[in-house]
Amino acid sequence: MHYSDLGMIAQLLALVFAVYAIIASVFGARLRRPALQASGRLSVLAVAAFLILTSASLFASFVTHDFGLQYVAQHSNLAMPWYYTVAAFYGGQEGSLLYWTMMLAIFSAIAVLSYRRAPEGLMPYVVAVLMTIDGFFLIVLNFVSTPFVRVRVAPMDGAGLNPILQDPGMLVHPPMLLMGYMSFSVPFAFAVAAMITGKLDNGWLRAIRRWTLAAWSIQTTGLLLGAWWSYHVLGWGGYWGWDPVENAALLPWITATAFLHSTMVQERRGTLKVWNLALIIATFALSIFGTFEVRSGIINSVHSFAYSSIGPYFLGFLGVIVLGSIGLFFYRLPRLRPEHEWDSFVSREGGFLVNNWLLTGIAFATFWGTIFPILSATFRGQTMTVGTSFYNLTDGALFLVLIAVMGIGPLLAWRRASWQSIWRNFRWPALLAALCAIILPIFGEANIVANIGFAVCAFAAATIFYELWRGMRVRHGHGESYPTALLMLVRRHRQRYGGYLVHLGLVILAVGVIGSHFFQAEQDLSLRAGQSATVAGYTITYRGISSSVQDSVQTIKTHFTISQNGQHLNDIYPGERIFPGFEDQPASIVSITTYGATDLYVFLAGYEGTNSATLKVFINPLVSFVWLGGILMLLGGILCWWPVARPVARLSETGAATNRRIPAATRAPGNVKVAAKAPRAEVTS
Amino acid sequence: MAIEQVTPVETPARSKRRKVPWSFIIAGVVIAGAIVYLVLANTGSSAEYYMTVNQLRACSSCAARTVRVSGIVVANSIVHDNATQTIHFQISDTNSTKMTVVYSGVVPDIFKAGVQVVVEGTLGSNGVFQAQNLLTKCPSKFQAATPPPSGQ
Repeated sequence: MHYSDLGMIAQLLALVFAVYAIIASVFGARLRRPALQASGRLSVLAVAAFLILTSASLFASFVTHDFGLQYVAQHSNLAMPWYYTVAAFYGGQEGSLLYWTMMLAIFSAIAVLSYRRAPEGLMPYVVAVLMTIDGFFLIVLNFVSTPFVRVRVAPMDGAGLNPILQDPGMLVHPPMLLMGYMSFSVPFAFAVAAMITGKLDNGWLRAIRRWTLAAWSIQTTGLLLGAWWSYHVLGWGGYWGWDPVENAALLPWITATAFLHSTMVQERRGTLKVWNLALIIATFALSIFGTFEVRSGIINSVHSFAYSSIGPYFLGFLGVIVLGSIGLFFYRLPRLRPEHEWDSFVSREGGFLVNNWLLTGIAFATFWGTIFPILSATFRGQTMTVGTSFYNLTDGALFLVLIAVMGIGPLLAWRRASWQSIWRNFRWPALLAALCAIILPIFGEANIVANIGFAVCAFAAATIFYELWRGMRVRHGHGESYPTALLMLVRRHRQRYGGYLVHLGLVILAVGVIGSHFFQAEQDLSLRAGQSATVAGYTITYRGISSSVQDSVQTIKTHFTISQNGQHLNDIYPGERIFPGFEDQPASIVSITTYGATDLYVFLAGYEGTNSATLKVFINPLVSFVWLGGILMLLGGILCWWPVARPVARLSETGAATNRRIPAATRAPGNVKVAAKAPRAEVTS
Repeated sequence: MAIEQVTPVETPARSKRRKVPWSFIIAGVVIAGAIVYLVLANTGSSAEYYMTVNQLRACSSCAARTVRVSGIVVANSIVHDNATQTIHFQISDTNSTKMTVVYSGVVPDIFKAGVQVVVEGTLGSNGVFQAQNLLTKCPSKFQAATPPPSGQ
């Protein structure tokens, strides 16, 4: 008896309970038998429990180095430190699948336990949809791609984890990214349940509001960690390469972002119902598409994951999701009438609409570029690819307009914004943007496109700060000090200001992207011992090389000094590590030193003993802004969804109390009560 | 229940649906048009052929245009020229036509004979491929490089 036997049994039982949950829920709902529905809900908990058990047994197999288990032998060895041994759990396809399946079951259990107040009659179908998704994964896991394949004679040691994965990034990025995409199954399940039951009012949207915000935050974290990992490990000087695998991860994030915005219109104005359903279906379908694309090898990527047989299963599942959702969607289309008409284009909903068109455009362009090799092969008989310039030009232009709209939209009134209010809201930010556009070239920034980009960012940031300042001034007028006023504003209207924080983060991130894209400098250096070279004012001198072996990993470190104007700044040690079993795949140790907002990124490209070393040196301006902006976006997202803490409930009269009951942005941007406190004339319209 | 909620709205809504203000329609058409234009124009300017060595040999219209070619680095074909920081090597599909590639620039860590590479550049009239970019295909393979020493 091995731990893996336990795992095999547990994952099979999980499948049985998942199937039971589907049947019990659907029949319970059809026959109006609450007891049957309840047993369906309970078996979701059983599925989660069995999958935790499955994972625990794989985990135990790794920790006890059970190399008789093929998966353990392929992804770990005795020399690996315990944390990478544990992370090797999701180092291969089977383990990633198990992780997906388990997390989906856990999230389903959380949904079952936490949605006691969900709209009447919705939950059985939510359970059925979630368990159908998990059931699909369980079938693949049990019968197609299982981590529990044993060999008769266990090898003495395993092959180990690929060197590039033996990095702190491995511990956090894959679980976060996978969890982010999987967590959108729950909103998708609510959408499908709403379509099946015909309860297409705003109830289902309100029920998942907080959930989608949390899922978005997790997705954002996953993407940021991926960019950071790629930047500090791969040695190519960048953090985003528009590789098909990266695009697959970005696509659902874009449609999820669009969904978060357009639901506010539905909750407030009762329009865009069709659109919201389409977006949530697209988000979920794209996350499955990503898995399919990555695993099937259908698109040529620099990241070659192990190609495998599960591609067709995912394609089939994708087809079922898309066709099934579209079928339901058209079946329910007659009920999806807007409750209000559209008034003026220059209004909050107009802003949201433009935001959604742009985000959809970005998603479409990215998707187009990603599948272009397939399209061209099908329609022109010749495989063609689009390079990064396609994405930079297309998505870059659309993002720039998006950031401008992001500055304008939140300050427009619902239904109809008066020109007076527009003048009052935007004159200062516009002036600042114009100043920025004029001043930057004087300081020697010569690129016109970058200048426009910086000016747009300045405008968007200024609208946010201007709005914040006016809110504080009003409270200050009522006797609060400015810091208290700021604190109270944020506490009272967390989703509103959380949203602003996300926007500000995106602006800062955009500044970082513009800076590092347009002003990156790159130089190859070949230095002999003692020799110096100067790149962008930084003098780099080769001091020597050393080699050491620890835990059978050989580490080669070169020693360079960086100085500027004769002043010693830093010692850096770019190098590489060579892992046993992977002698032909050294993992680079990239040296990144930050001066002001500029990264000096040094990658050791080659060395010949102590004689000479070849370096690739990148001067990356403003990359720190990318990380700073990303962290702000994440904090803003968390501020939006984090449950209201008790002290806040005590402090406020009605605000926080209703906060607890009505999830969401029914009160968020532009609520009358919120707006009444802000000095804005359009409130009355 | 849901029907009752929606039905009263339905009739007036239907007549109002036709009255989506022109400003929305115009703005939508403009933005959609701009997106489609951007996508098509940038596709036209940045699309490159992606082919194998044999396909490139067979292609008559590919001379002097930028293409991406994938192939395996031929054994014992790599020649480093340290003075000019240039390397010469040959790539081929499986056991077929070889093509000489010239590349100057930093060579990826794991570049060596037998790995799959993608080169981006142009095929000169002398049959030598001038590469601007050299990508190796293994670095983030999420699977062990060597098969496990199983006892079977």
